[in-house]
Amino acid sequence: MDPLAAIRETFFQECEEQLAELESGLLAMEGGDQDPETINAVFRAVHSIKGGAGAFSLEALIRFAHVFETALDEMRSGRLAPSNDVLKSMLRAADVLADLVRAAHAGDEAEHPGAATLAEELRTMSGAAGAEDESEEDWGDFEFQPMAVAVEGAEAPAAAPAGFKVAFKPRADLYAKANEAALLLRELTRLGHAEVELDAHDVPPLNEIDPEAAYLSWTVTLTGDADETSIREVFEFVDGDCELEVTPLGGSAESEGGEPAFDLSSLLARVQGDAPAEAAPEAPVEAFEPVAPPPPAPVVAPVVAAAPPPAAPPAAANETAAEGQAAGGPRKTEAGATIRVDLDRVDRLIDLVGELVINQAVLAQRVMEAGLARASAVAMGLDELEQLTREIQDSVMAIRAQPVKSVFQRMPRLVREVAAMTGKPVRLVTEGEGTEVDKTVIERLADPLTHMIRNAIDHGLENPEKRAAAGKPAEGVVKLSAAHRSGRIVIEVSDDGGGINRERVKGIAIEKGLISAEATLSDEEIDNLIFMPGFSTAAEVSDISGRGVGMDVVRRSIQALGGRITISSRPGKGSTFTMSLPLTLAVLDGMVVSVNNQTLVAPITAIVETLQPKAEDVHSLGGHARVISIRGGFVPLIDVGMALGYRNEPLPATQGVALLIEGEGGARAALLCDAIQGQRQVVIKSLEANYRQVPGVAAATILGDGRVALILDIDTIVTVSRGDMRKAG
Amino acid sequence: MSMTVLTVDDSRTMREMLRLALADAGFRVVQAEDGIHGLEVLQAEPEMPQVIVTDINMPRMDGFGFIEEVRGDQRYRAIPILVLTTESDAEKKNRARMAGATGWIVKPFNPVKLVDAIRRVAA
Amino acid sequence: MNQIISQNGQNQAGGMKELISFRIGAQEFCVDIMAIREIRGWTAATALPQSPSFVKGVINLRGAVLPIVDLASRLGFESTEASDRNVIIVAQIGEQVVGLLVDAVSDILTVTDDVIQPTPDVASETAKSFIRGLIAMDGRMISLIGLDRVLPDMELEAA
Repeated sequence: MDPLAAIRETFFQECEEQLAELESGLLAMEGGDQDPETINAVFRAVHSIKGGAGAFSLEALIRFAHVFETALDEMRSGRLAPSNDVLKSMLRAADVLADLVRAAHAGDEAEHPGAATLAEELRTMSGAAGAEDESEEDWGDFEFQPMAVAVEGAEAPAAAPAGFKVAFKPRADLYAKANEAALLLRELTRLGHAEVELDAHDVPPLNEIDPEAAYLSWTVTLTGDADETSIREVFEFVDGDCELEVTPLGGSAESEGGEPAFDLSSLLARVQGDAPAEAAPEAPVEAFEPVAPPPPAPVVAPVVAAAPPPAAPPAAANETAAEGQAAGGPRKTEAGATIRVDLDRVDRLIDLVGELVINQAVLAQRVMEAGLARASAVAMGLDELEQLTREIQDSVMAIRAQPVKSVFQRMPRLVREVAAMTGKPVRLVTEGEGTEVDKTVIERLADPLTHMIRNAIDHGLENPEKRAAAGKPAEGVVKLSAAHRSGRIVIEVSDDGGGINRERVKGIAIEKGLISAEATLSDEEIDNLIFMPGFSTAAEVSDISGRGVGMDVVRRSIQALGGRITISSRPGKGSTFTMSLPLTLAVLDGMVVSVNNQTLVAPITAIVETLQPKAEDVHSLGGHARVISIRGGFVPLIDVGMALGYRNEPLPATQGVALLIEGEGGARAALLCDAIQGQRQVVIKSLEANYRQVPGVAAATILGDGRVALILDIDTIVTVSRGDMRKAG
Repeated sequence: MSMTVLTVDDSRTMREMLRLALADAGFRVVQAEDGIHGLEVLQAEPEMPQVIVTDINMPRMDGFGFIEEVRGDQRYRAIPILVLTTESDAEKKNRARMAGATGWIVKPFNPVKLVDAIRRVAA
Repeated sequence: MNQIISQNGQNQAGGMKELISFRIGAQEFCVDIMAIREIRGWTAATALPQSPSFVKGVINLRGAVLPIVDLASRLGFESTEASDRNVIIVAQIGEQVVGLLVDAVSDILTVTDDVIQPTPDVASETAKSFIRGLIAMDGRMISLIGLDRVLPDMELEAA
């Protein structure tokens, strides 16, 4: 069971509490309780159930809870009087809701006999009270939300302009809500190649500066593949709190943004003198005569320095501007100008930055150990250093990055071939071809993508007759998209086919012994069964997507890249495979553990959960072989210290912590360690560069204390532990 | 030094969902059960959260009240606040913005989008 | 050190060799200075599983993971209990960089090729596989070590 399943249990527990709250609240109201907090509590109970149900896509429950909630909202706002009849209906609705909760918990998808009538009753109540009914489509979107990963800009960037000019002027409100112009600009510059121009025209003389006001504005010239939708998305949160203009480059005439933006000397004059700024007729300005008329130059500031906070003293603003002018001047970078660099040099730079990151971590740890306060100047300086280091690392990693175009380009031909073989007309839509990711990741994406696209056409899309019957156009659509999200690249392969036939999938899984016939699985869990090894059936294997590889192989290759893959499916509408991959193979999210005084790192992607073994759950199979019972199933318990030869006697299971992992081929095992130190992103260092491969060790890393820690090769440990690893050595 | 996120939600399920998604992304998570609890946690927490994620419908003090309190306090006013709201509820979204919310997350949230939103507003 | 190396580059052209000598127990050995990148103090190494006993583990050398070979143990002597008094000679062997754990570095020798005498047949097989020749100097006997076989051989160890 994954952590999500554990939360699902929490949800059903909480539902019971809320149902109790709901019932007692309604009963109290029936008894004459008029405290507004009572109706609020009743409303919240149903609202919470709906929220949780939404998170787990429990559709019957969501629907009913929604109708119920709407009626309660009417009552709460006073539009629906809590008459006895109304409360009676509400109490019956509470019973139905309880039934639906229990049915959802049991995975029972049968229609509730009373739900429809009662829902109608509630709807009538709300309707009678004058509430506008929410449109069904809107609601449909809501249900689908948990799985959907937004894809930027639906329109294909067929003849996209080379870029956009983004004029951005924050209002004071923007800052008051803790939004930061600098962060927005940073986000914007991630969409492509950006040139940022600061406009400080509006900065008033020093004595007039209002620390809460917003004076600065920026013009960003963004070149690259970003479309307008994704640009506007950046400013989603500040809509209304800023002036924003997005105009395609090379389109309409240059607006004010192109003009000289900032005249430092005149600003200085205004700050220091009392003279009116524009006219500057006589005396006080004279002192500045020599510097007064330099050719005004647009300030091209580096992104990092682009945004002094609005409340910053004007001196800082001047500094920034001055720096910008000195360093940048009227420099204009040619869009698309490139230099060729030897890959070795880039890798050396990446290595050095890796060292810098480690050094920074070492230093931070030393400072912590020295007991310096977090607010001390040293600690704060260190925080800034960390930020900077991370930015340098990102920028350096970006050098190795390439657009996914090179692999996306191979797909149209594949689609034509598979379409011809299956006799299904297919249109391939690609998006985000310009999204960049490490070269090595791209190279290793081709195989899984090929397989998934084949799969989408072969299994995902219905044949033309079925599509016609379902009222869909004969031509199926397969969409391939890439986008950056939270420091990862998200690649989606979706089809507009029939979606996953859950009954059949579950049937196959039971037949293959992958799950027990009694297992209660959510839709999502059923969909994800297709990733289990051994799921692909003989009946399933066709010429196109068969070839003896199932989705488990796809998942394994994605995991090998430090990624995850999930599927979401809507019956009749299609399926979407979502892969989330690290942007580089140079870092890894790791769980740091101790084993026999050694510090080791386990890749987080392999870990399903961590657990504290209880004596009664651990069983010996003779020798040092042990298994641990986890929710009724037995999983081999592997002593990592023994497996790596760090110790000769196994650690008593109750003295350690077990990492439940899913290794190659989906096989589960529990890795027994002494203790967990925490989670950390680590820089991957090769052992082979100066030594050789070591069985059980995938690579090495350097931790905050400056020492080398080994990264576990979980698959090898699991496989070899079936025999005795140390004999192999 | 990982980023600390304060989550304020009366539903244990939602708190756990948030914790899972945020811990997965490497954040340190501190939790509160309603607005008042949230203010208490802010005061007690040695490490000032860099971001707050809050629900709206909560007992004792709801999300709007909580946001107003945070924005009105010199110590906390610079902390970005993201509210959890349903897609359909434009009115709540607007009220939250008026109260001073930095941004919003649509419920039921997608973990990737959640983390994305946090990274977008956190310095 | 840089200076020495650059000088050495010229010297070698003239049939001269610069060697760095070090002690392991009572014995003295030397290696070609051209292979030496730096000399540093001992730091605790991270043990490597599935590795021969003469591999002490790996250390962090400015971000690179460096294996440490206990040269005493590698040459067939008793293994070294490393402490702060020990020294690591960082050497380039082919494409790889390796740390050699020794007791102390003693000298830099400049010799011509003809003073290097062949290893006599009496030496053991282990010794012979590493020792390229002997140098007699000021009454001392110094064994010249070839580094190419210092790291464990993949195929050999895997068997």
